[in-house]
Amino acid sequence: MYRNDAPALELRGLTKRYDDGTLAIEDFDLEIPAGAFFGLLGPNGAGKTTLISAVCNLIRVTEGDVLVFGEPAHSLLARSWIGLAEQDINLDRFLTVRETLTYHGGYFGMQRDEAEERAEEMIAAFGLQAKRDTRAPKLSGGQRRRLLLARALMHRPRLVILDEPTAGVDFELRTELWRYIRQLHAEGTTILLTTHYLEEAEELCEEIALIRDGHLIARDSAAGLRESFAVDRLQDVYVKAMARS
Amino acid sequence: MLWLCRRETLRVSKLWTQTVLAPVVSSLLFILVFGLSLGGRIKQVGDVDYEVFIVPGLITMGMVQAAYANNASSIFQARFDRYINDVLSAPMKPWQMTLGYTVGGLFRALAIGSALLVAAAILVGVPVERPFALAAAVVLGLILFASLGLVVGIYAETWDHTTFIANIVILPLAFVGGVFYSIDVLPSPWHELSHVNPVFYLVNAVRFGFLGEADVSVWLSLGVTAALAVPTYLWAQWLFTTGKKLKD
Ligand SMILES: Nc1ncnc2c1ncn2[C@@H]1O[C@H](COP(=O)(O)OP(=O)(O)OP(=O)(O)O)[C@@H](O)[C@H]1O
Ligand SMILES: [Mg+2]
Repeated sequence: MYRNDAPALELRGLTKRYDDGTLAIEDFDLEIPAGAFFGLLGPNGAGKTTLISAVCNLIRVTEGDVLVFGEPAHSLLARSWIGLAEQDINLDRFLTVRETLTYHGGYFGMQRDEAEERAEEMIAAFGLQAKRDTRAPKLSGGQRRRLLLARALMHRPRLVILDEPTAGVDFELRTELWRYIRQLHAEGTTILLTTHYLEEAEELCEEIALIRDGHLIARDSAAGLRESFAVDRLQDVYVKAMARS
Repeated sequence: MLWLCRRETLRVSKLWTQTVLAPVVSSLLFILVFGLSLGGRIKQVGDVDYEVFIVPGLITMGMVQAAYANNASSIFQARFDRYINDVLSAPMKPWQMTLGYTVGGLFRALAIGSALLVAAAILVGVPVERPFALAAAVVLGLILFASLGLVVGIYAETWDHTTFIANIVILPLAFVGGVFYSIDVLPSPWHELSHVNPVFYLVNAVRFGFLGEADVSVWLSLGVTAALAVPTYLWAQWLFTTGKKLKD
């Protein structure tokens, strides 16, 4: 059904200029191999969320191509392969936890029985059993974050994109989430993660891309980056990369 | 797409006291208060009792306002909270999104319309002379106002924009659209001006469906309503296809 040799994500000359003139991403090329655990690092406003939104059809791309496992990102097939947890929590305020998951499954083409079964699985995996029939606005911040992540993974995407999933999250959920995504990755899922916690990127990601002002600065494994920047810690790589102009 | 329709109808059912009960009660009050108070004085419009004469217009008003308000607020909320992204990123075609978001308003309006029809049949004994014309008028009118709700909900920058259109455009047009009177009683130029009011044609088409008679030909009424409904729906569809105002 799908080509296994195609990279999970391929950006070619991606440019996004917002209507107010802000150039968020400029002529950006990037290739993420299938099955990778990939980190996207950069300061606030670097363009990480914009890049992700371009992949997920949430912005109108100014120029360039986005391919997901070899298919154009806007195609229905490509969309069905992507699971996204956005940086800002955006849950449907009229739906309960269980409905949020089932309806998401439905939007992504699952049959009712399959969706309901899978929703229970996700509820258990993210410890939301007690809140099954609670509507999103009545959840705590951490519970909303859990639901957001569960929703992203609900339809068993091949490419999971997590935009700062651990921002403002307690230690327990962070370790749980790490374990969960590691397991997904071990099963062959491609993971694209943005984070401001360098130790998290170093711990989890096989490869890291550093971006600044909408441009790719460097891309390598954590060890490779330390070596090419001739420093001992990823933190110092980051400081050096972001300082250079 | 079925799931999006389901989500939109679920929202209406969950909020049914606001979405269905409240408009039904207010329309019934109109029927009772106007019908009984003025009905004593006006008696008949043409050969129809006044309290019967106003029912089709009031049902139309209740329905189109609900179709509009429902879709405007549902999509505005989804944009405002950004949970519309869950739909925009889903493997659905633009036409499926447009149709899915239209259905909520249709569902709500039909729920209100059926409740009012039953109540009006019991209270004032309103007949349904031309069921097919009635169905056609209702479908076209609802598509028009349900899509208008989508369009406004997509362009709106604040909640006030959506209520602004409802209060400044829809309500006044409905009031001067011959809901409470036959435009034949109006002096010039109001009589002529009524003919450029789109709601006038819709009210007439619906009244023809109920009473079998109206101020203008039913074909003209249906034609005008269709000529507005189709472009408005396509406008909503265009917004979903291009992502204008939905995507930055
Ligand atoms: N909707 C928008 N309209 C106009 N400009 C925008 C919009 N969204 C983002 N930008 C601008 O685009 C640039 C990149 O923003 P983006 O959200 O992609 O950064 P980011 O790397 O995700 O930052 P953070 O780490 O703070 O999440 C910023 O200069 C931002 O101000
Ligand atoms: Mg961001």
